[in-house]
Amino acid sequence: MEYKNETIAIEGSWNLASWEWKFESIALIRKTFEAMKNERKLMANKCPGCGRVYFLPKPYCLCLSIPDEWVEIKDTATVTTYTFTGAWAYEGIADDEVSGTPQIFAGVVFDGSDTKTVTMLEGIEPEKVHVGMRVKLKWPEEVAGGLTDLAHCVPLEE
Amino acid sequence: MAKNEVAVVGVGLSKHVSKRRDVNIAELVWEAVSACYEDAGLKPKDVDAFATGNMPAFEGVNLPEEWGAGHWGAYNKPLLRITTGGTTGGSVAHGGYYLVGSGLFDTVMCIAFEKQSDGNSTMGLNTVALADAAAQLQLGVDPGFIASFGGGAVGVAVYQASSYMKSSGCTTHHLDKVSALCRNNAALNPYSHLKQPGLTPEEVAKTTLLQYPIRFGHVCPATDGACAMLFTTGEKARKLTDKPAYVLSCASASDEAALVGISGSGTTNVDPCEQESCKIAAARAYEIAGIKDPRNEIDLAEPYSPFAHQLLMFYERLLLCDEGEAPSILDSGSMNLDGELPVCPSGGVISTNAIGASAMERVAECALQIMGKCGERQVKKDVHKAVAHGWGGAVNLNVVAVLSDTPRR
Repeated sequence: MEYKNETIAIEGSWNLASWEWKFESIALIRKTFEAMKNERKLMANKCPGCGRVYFLPKPYCLCLSIPDEWVEIKDTATVTTYTFTGAWAYEGIADDEVSGTPQIFAGVVFDGSDTKTVTMLEGIEPEKVHVGMRVKLKWPEEVAGGLTDLAHCVPLEE
Repeated sequence: MAKNEVAVVGVGLSKHVSKRRDVNIAELVWEAVSACYEDAGLKPKDVDAFATGNMPAFEGVNLPEEWGAGHWGAYNKPLLRITTGGTTGGSVAHGGYYLVGSGLFDTVMCIAFEKQSDGNSTMGLNTVALADAAAQLQLGVDPGFIASFGGGAVGVAVYQASSYMKSSGCTTHHLDKVSALCRNNAALNPYSHLKQPGLTPEEVAKTTLLQYPIRFGHVCPATDGACAMLFTTGEKARKLTDKPAYVLSCASASDEAALVGISGSGTTNVDPCEQESCKIAAARAYEIAGIKDPRNEIDLAEPYSPFAHQLLMFYERLLLCDEGEAPSILDSGSMNLDGELPVCPSGGVISTNAIGASAMERVAECALQIMGKCGERQVKKDVHKAVAHGWGGAVNLNVVAVLSDTPRR
């Protein structure tokens, strides 16, 4: 038999999202998403042991207690870290989304919570972004109840 | 405290380049293993047990010792495989320390390697990141959206870098200087991958911006390479060589993942640059080693730094200076080969990254510097005590080892 060195593609799909992952955090986070969708509120869970407030919620705390108290937090936030895309992105993953302008990603802590959320910053030049700056969630017109609802923040004028 | 004194009596490294198409995995590893046997003056029959490690699935071969063991002298010998993500090599070295230190085995061969050109490292990384990605997928986020947030190792490093730069006062110029320092050191190391003699910070600053603040010049290469080390008891070591490198201590600590936002375990609540677990592991390692004042007692450091800011960040987290002090120490020249506390004389991970081997190569460099076997890159000062570090796991684990030219009294 003749040996041929070739790569072949076999049609098919492997949809990881269709699998039932049993993370405890998923059910909690979905509660938050429902509150966002139904009441336009950001709900976080608070630890009775140490007082840490988790947004997005978490099933257990760093201090090993169960954060089982639900509290509403604000939609204003402080930037704790950021990055913006470099040259690779301009012809990058989705051309229509990037179109030659750097996208700015930031880790933000929403007021009233203690943990970071990743979001994109709009309405500001990358060079002007700084750690410590104040931003506000840009709510979508129609809240879908998912991570993408948290994907856009704008500078907060105080 | 270890029951037995533990010493390194041999180190072997393969050639490190981006693509070794002339050898297979077993042959690549044999280059390091045979060099190690030769360095120690031992034969496979003298070895009582083996510890090996690489990144799972990076080469598309999940249990490489299935066809490597015979090739490395490990056939039918006790063999322990240890893989802990980016820290794999460090953990393998820790394994060697525990196997000998416990008194269960006298002489142990530790092997760590990566042959990235055989497989696909991004695909391999997915095996580590799957838990985090799966949590997001289940929340109805499409994979393109996750990727646009800056996936992979760079996507983790940039948030850590920005945060570190704010808290320490480190500037992008300091990042450029770190790269120049490491790549110039690498030029003197025959086993390094990216050798750039004469590289200046200004040249690094002109490289492509990958994702702020990380430029192409601030990032490690993908390397094929292997590292092997022979650990034995202090008693045997003194018979084999005049100048063994004693392993005084090993310590590790795991924290939450240094990610921003949600991961598989839920919402992270640590700042990616805090690295509390590194401080805890370092303090524990110094305590076991009998070191009270690491800033004055440590002569050389090999922090694990695939990204430029990490050299400075981990220098601080290894308790070698106050937090925020590392950038000015870099400016002072103290980290140079002829400085007061040389850092990454090997060229560091930023110059050579055969992932599974990288954290062990930090331990190997400390041993080689103590044994005085580093040739052109041998640091000017006498090295009595050195600290080797690894960072990895799923960006949650820190491993620290302290080596010395004298056993602990």
